[in-house]
Amino acid sequence: MPAAISYRPRRLSRVTDRVMRLALWGLALAFIAVLAVFVGAILKQGWPVLNLGFLTRMPETLDAGGGIKPEIFNSLYLVALSLAISLPIGLGAGIYMAEYAGQGRILRFLRLCIETLAATPSIVLALFGMIVFVQMMGWSFSIRSGAVTLALLNIPVITRVTEVSLLAVPRELKEASYGLGATRLQTILKVALPYAATGILTGLVLTAGRAFGESAILVFTAGTNTSQTFPDFRLTVPGETLSVHLWYVTSDGTLPDAREIAAGTAAVMIVVLLVLNLSVRFLDRFIRRRTR
Amino acid sequence: MPDASDTLLDAPPCASDPTRESPVVESLPKEPAFRHSRLQRLADRWSHLLFLTCGLLVVALIGGILYFLAARGAGAFLPLAGNTDKVLTLKEVFLSADWDPNSGKFGILPFIAGSLSVTGLALLLAAPTGILTGVFIAKLAPGWMKTLMRQVMDLLVGIPSVVYGIFGLMVVLPWVSGKWLSDSPAAGFAVSAAILAVMIVPTIVSLSTDAFESLPLALEEGSQALGSTRWQAIWHVLIPAARPRLLTATVLGLGRAIGEAMAIQMVIGNNPQWIALMRGATDQTPVLRFLFTPAATLTTELVQELPNTAAGSTWNNLLFAMGLLLYLMTMGIILATRRLGRQRNA
Repeated sequence: MPAAISYRPRRLSRVTDRVMRLALWGLALAFIAVLAVFVGAILKQGWPVLNLGFLTRMPETLDAGGGIKPEIFNSLYLVALSLAISLPIGLGAGIYMAEYAGQGRILRFLRLCIETLAATPSIVLALFGMIVFVQMMGWSFSIRSGAVTLALLNIPVITRVTEVSLLAVPRELKEASYGLGATRLQTILKVALPYAATGILTGLVLTAGRAFGESAILVFTAGTNTSQTFPDFRLTVPGETLSVHLWYVTSDGTLPDAREIAAGTAAVMIVVLLVLNLSVRFLDRFIRRRTR
Repeated sequence: MPDASDTLLDAPPCASDPTRESPVVESLPKEPAFRHSRLQRLADRWSHLLFLTCGLLVVALIGGILYFLAARGAGAFLPLAGNTDKVLTLKEVFLSADWDPNSGKFGILPFIAGSLSVTGLALLLAAPTGILTGVFIAKLAPGWMKTLMRQVMDLLVGIPSVVYGIFGLMVVLPWVSGKWLSDSPAAGFAVSAAILAVMIVPTIVSLSTDAFESLPLALEEGSQALGSTRWQAIWHVLIPAARPRLLTATVLGLGRAIGEAMAIQMVIGNNPQWIALMRGATDQTPVLRFLFTPAATLTTELVQELPNTAAGSTWNNLLFAMGLLLYLMTMGIILATRRLGRQRNA
C-alpha cells in the first residue's frame, strides 16, 4: 500500500473483509472437494467390477455376472446417429441465424425458440418422442426412435455453437472473399465455415458427451432392452445404452448383482466423460494456438 | 437472352431479401463485372431457403411439442376419440391433493408441491453459493485458480444425471442415514435437493462469473477509492450492480432444476402420498419430517409410472398433461429471463 493513503477501513470492516475472502476460498475449495469425492467414490465403487470380462460380456436378465458389451455399442451408435441427424439441421439453423437473419425480429424469434428448446426438460422431449416416433410412426422402442428424439436434444446446442463460431469469423476475411467475387454461399462454405470449424467441433464433442449421458429420453424411446446379437446395426431393434442400463438395473431390482453392475457402468461412463473433457481441452488449446 | 426463367432467378426469392439487410453486401457495387455460372447463382439464391428451413424446423418443433402434449393431455379432461377411461375436471386434478389413481382420485398437487419444494431447497443451496463462487472466480481468484474452477464446473455440468443418481443412492443416502438418522432411510427432499444443487450450481456459477466480469472496472475502483475494503466493494457495489444478471442466472438454474428427472427419481423415494405420511409421522420435528420423508415430484412420477400405465387410460393421459405443465413452466422461465434481460438494457 502506498504511504499516501491515510485512511484505513474500520477494524470491523477489515476483519469482515478477511473472513469473507477466506470464506470464498473455502467455498471454492469445497466445490473442488465435492467433485473429487464424487469422482473418487464412483471410481472406487466401480473399480472391483471393472475388468475385460465386464466390458465384453452380454448382460444377464436374471443371474449375476452380466456384462455391458452391447450397451457400450448402443451408446456409441446412438450418439453417432443422433449427431448425424442433428448436425446438418443445427449447422443450417446456425448458418441462417449468423449469416442471413439480420438483426431484426426474425433473429430474435429464432433465438427465443432455440433457447426454449435448449431449456426444455429431457423428460418432456421423451414424452414428445414417445407420442410421435414410438406410437404414431409405429417405430416402437427402437434405435431409430431413440436417435431421432436424442437429436432434438442436440439441435439447440449445435445451432448455438455454430452461430457463435460463425459470428466470431473476422469481417475482413468475409469481405476479402466477396472482393474476390465469391458468392455469399461460397463465402460461407469455403471461408467462414472452415474458420469456425474448430469451434463447432468443440461444441460437437460437448454435445456428444451430453447425448452419451442422457437417459430420460432413451428410456422412453430406445427402450430398456437390447438385441441379443452383437453388433446389431439394425435401426428397428431396441437399444439400451449405458446410462439407461445403469438406471434400469438399479430401479428394476431383479439382478442379484445390480449394485455392482451399476457401479461398474457408472465408472465406465465417468472414464469416458473424463476422456471427452480432456479432448475438449486439447481442442481448445489447439484453437487458441492457431488463432495466435 | 432474358427469358422468363432468368428474370425469375434475378428477382429476390422472397419479399424480405436478406441481402439487403447485410452491411457487407450493401457496400459492394450493385452490378459486379464478373458473373458466376448459372449453377452458382442458382445455388446462392436458393441455399438460404435451405438454411431457413432448418431454422423453421426448430420453430415447428416448439409448436409440435406443445401440440402433441396438449392433444394427449387433453384426453384426461375431455371425452376424446380413443379415450377409454373416465374423464376428470380441472378442479379435481389441479386443486386436489388426493392422489389415489386406483380409486379414481387424481389430484396432482402433491407432485406440484414436491417439484416446488425440491427445486426451492436446491436453489436455496445453489443460488448463494453459486453467486459467491462467481464473485470469487471473477474478482478474487488468481489466474490458476480461475482456470481450475472453470474446469471443475465444466466437469460437474458434464456428469450425467444417472451418475449423480447412483452416487446419491450408493454413497449419500447410506451416509446420511447412518450418520444423522440412526439408520432410518434418508430418501426425501433433503438429499434430492443437495444433489440437484450440485447439478445446477455450474450454470449459476458460469453465468454469474460472466455477470461480474462484464461490470465496468470503474465501479470497483471507485468503491475502493472511497475507502471500502474488497468485500465491501463486492457486497455493496458489485452484487447490486450485477443483480439483474444474477437473477437471470438463478432463474435459469431453476429451469434446469425443475425439469431434472432421473437423478431425483433415484433418491427421492417416489411416494405420491408423502403429504399424508409427513402428517402421520409425529415422532420427529416437522423440519426433519419434511426433509426426510420419501416424496415425489412431477418428473419422478412421469419416470415412475409412464411405463406402467396403459395408453389411453386416464392416468396415462394425465401424465402427458403433467409433461405439458413442465413444458409450460420452461416457457415461462425463458420468458422471465427475457424480461429480466430487457430490464437490464433499459
